Amino acid sequence: MIEYLDRLPQMLGRCGSAMVDVAVIGAGQTKYGNHPSGLKGMWAEAAESAFASVDHGFEPRSVDEAFIGSVAFGGAQLGNTAALLTEHSGMDGIPVRRVENACASSGFALRDAWMAIKSGQADVVVAGGIEKMNDLSPERKRFWLGVSGDTEWERLAGLTFPGTYALMARRHFHEFGSVHDDLVHISVKNHMHGFLNEVAHIRKEVSFEKANSGFMVADPLTLYDCCPTSDGASCVILAADHVVRQFTDDPVWVRSSGAGSDRLALHDRPSITQLIATQKAAQSAYSAAGLTASDVDFAEVHDCFTVAEMMATEDLGFAQRGEGGVFAREGRGRLNEGDVCINPSGGLKSKGHPLGATGTGQAVEVFKQLRGSVEHGRQVTDAEVGLSHNVGGSGATCSVHLFGRSRE
Amino acid sequence: MTSTIDWQGYLVVQNDMSMLIQSPFMCRGQVVYGADSDATTMAIAGLQFMLSRGHSIQSVHLTEPINAEIVGLATGIDSPQINENIATSSVEWDILVGDEATLVIAHNSIERYEFDQPVGLVELEERLFDDLNDAWEKETALAHVSQGAYVSHSQYLEGARARLSLASQRLDEQSIWPPRQMDAAGLRLPSPSTALVGKATVESWTKLSAAGAPSEFSLRAPILGGIQTVFVRFEQGPAGVFLLADDLEYQPKIGDAVDFSVRKIYAQESFIRYGLKAFPVE
Repeated sequence: MIEYLDRLPQMLGRCGSAMVDVAVIGAGQTKYGNHPSGLKGMWAEAAESAFASVDHGFEPRSVDEAFIGSVAFGGAQLGNTAALLTEHSGMDGIPVRRVENACASSGFALRDAWMAIKSGQADVVVAGGIEKMNDLSPERKRFWLGVSGDTEWERLAGLTFPGTYALMARRHFHEFGSVHDDLVHISVKNHMHGFLNEVAHIRKEVSFEKANSGFMVADPLTLYDCCPTSDGASCVILAADHVVRQFTDDPVWVRSSGAGSDRLALHDRPSITQLIATQKAAQSAYSAAGLTASDVDFAEVHDCFTVAEMMATEDLGFAQRGEGGVFAREGRGRLNEGDVCINPSGGLKSKGHPLGATGTGQAVEVFKQLRGSVEHGRQVTDAEVGLSHNVGGSGATCSVHLFGRSRE
Repeated sequence: MTSTIDWQGYLVVQNDMSMLIQSPFMCRGQVVYGADSDATTMAIAGLQFMLSRGHSIQSVHLTEPINAEIVGLATGIDSPQINENIATSSVEWDILVGDEATLVIAHNSIERYEFDQPVGLVELEERLFDDLNDAWEKETALAHVSQGAYVSHSQYLEGARARLSLASQRLDEQSIWPPRQMDAAGLRLPSPSTALVGKATVESWTKLSAAGAPSEFSLRAPILGGIQTVFVRFEQGPAGVFLLADDLEYQPKIGDAVDFSVRKIYAQESFIRYGLKAFPVE
């Protein structure tokens, strides 16, 4: 009888009728940047790092299912990517699939993994992401940038993502009185945070003057407003509450997963100074977790361009609508100085943006921050609740996850 | 003397039932096309001019190198070149292609054309002219194919009518553009039928450096010093993004009114994608 009761949550979970809680038990990633390895080597490195981070030890054959995000930039392995990568990381034979939602691919892989456990179909699930962007010639790389925008209408109007985000920035300046200097503050902050991050692509502090003098990429966005194109892989291991203690006594709980979508093209949206997909994802995540923006101690937000972070601080509720510029100007997102630390990893701007790896890479940072295991000088003090925010393209898709030291 | 009219970036001289339309650019003593114009774009501009002056043109005789399909999509004017059901004898209008960048559009009752010389020609720098011509030649080569995202010929044609004529869908007194497939109830929307009219207003804009522009523009963007895109809203409600015409000297501002003209956008697989580009309303 006792044995039966012990297994009851698991059995109910498999029936899909009980709320199974989900925890992150391990997480790891490669350094982002110009990585010397190919696709398989990078994934193996990230998986190895994640396996090694599990306190009580971990064998990949424990994994029930895997979801791996990738845009397959350049076609390195466009079809059956997940099967290839799990085959090379000790997870042969399990159900796997590649998840593609542009730059939010692995944010959604994480959500799919969370849902697989929530539904009771699996106990241990890997969510990961990977992108190899720098093994293409500059000429070929140019063809692939912007594949996730509206190719028929926006791309034929000369727009890639620097262009679409530039349109958003100029309109935000016009509607709310924000200025380019606000974006420079974001760039300086994220480079300052990323300077201390051992896995960051660009570990370089940048002065305000330097960040304000980059060459123009898409007016008004300069080089220092744009994230780099990075290689990288990231891997997160999730487990159901009833098996967590087999692996660690120090889990990080996934308090909720929210997601949303919006129309692909900017001109089909009612406003270009906010991302409705982010707002939907955030509302869903906050509501499910019973938390508000004021409960969040730090957030890894999707700053593919500095203006994206400015809008995200509004859409996630850290600043009032139209006040994202003021938020940045007043340093309210700085590590252990502001209201809520925004991008302690350095964000996409400094840590880097290997498209498909970014979402789970954010979760790796949250896992480490909440367990107090980041590099000296980069720790968010007394962090209890962290948020990850992963956007696909110019805001067509978005996932938001809330993580906590405590289960509730 | 008949005055010269500046129309969609071209020079027009009009008589009663005929008109001369000409590129405003000269190079090495010849009238030449500008950075994103050709006989097709100028034929469209000319026909639209005649329509704007009250002429009724149902069909027209076209000759190479004018693309009759694009002209038809942009203006709604048919031609025997693309519609075998049209009897040649029933076509009342002709477009004659000159040796240089000039066209004559005339009713076939006119036996002799005489036009005053258009005024307002500007000299195009030889190096710029040659570089742009070389770039277009490379772009239109069959081997020039995107290795990533691009708009295929069939995808382009699916939306070409809306793209070239601003034909919009109507639903519950609202205009929808660019065209969409289904409404929120899951019902298929009607085909685009009503052209957006009136001016559009700039709500945002950007200038992309050659490094920030899509690869489809990689040959010409460096020559042009980047490309400019405006986000505009039409009086009827819909919004859209458009390139500015390449040969404009114009710095957009939010609130500016713009109009549109069909120009070349880019070429791939030997097929030129035409579309509307914006220019300021004086």
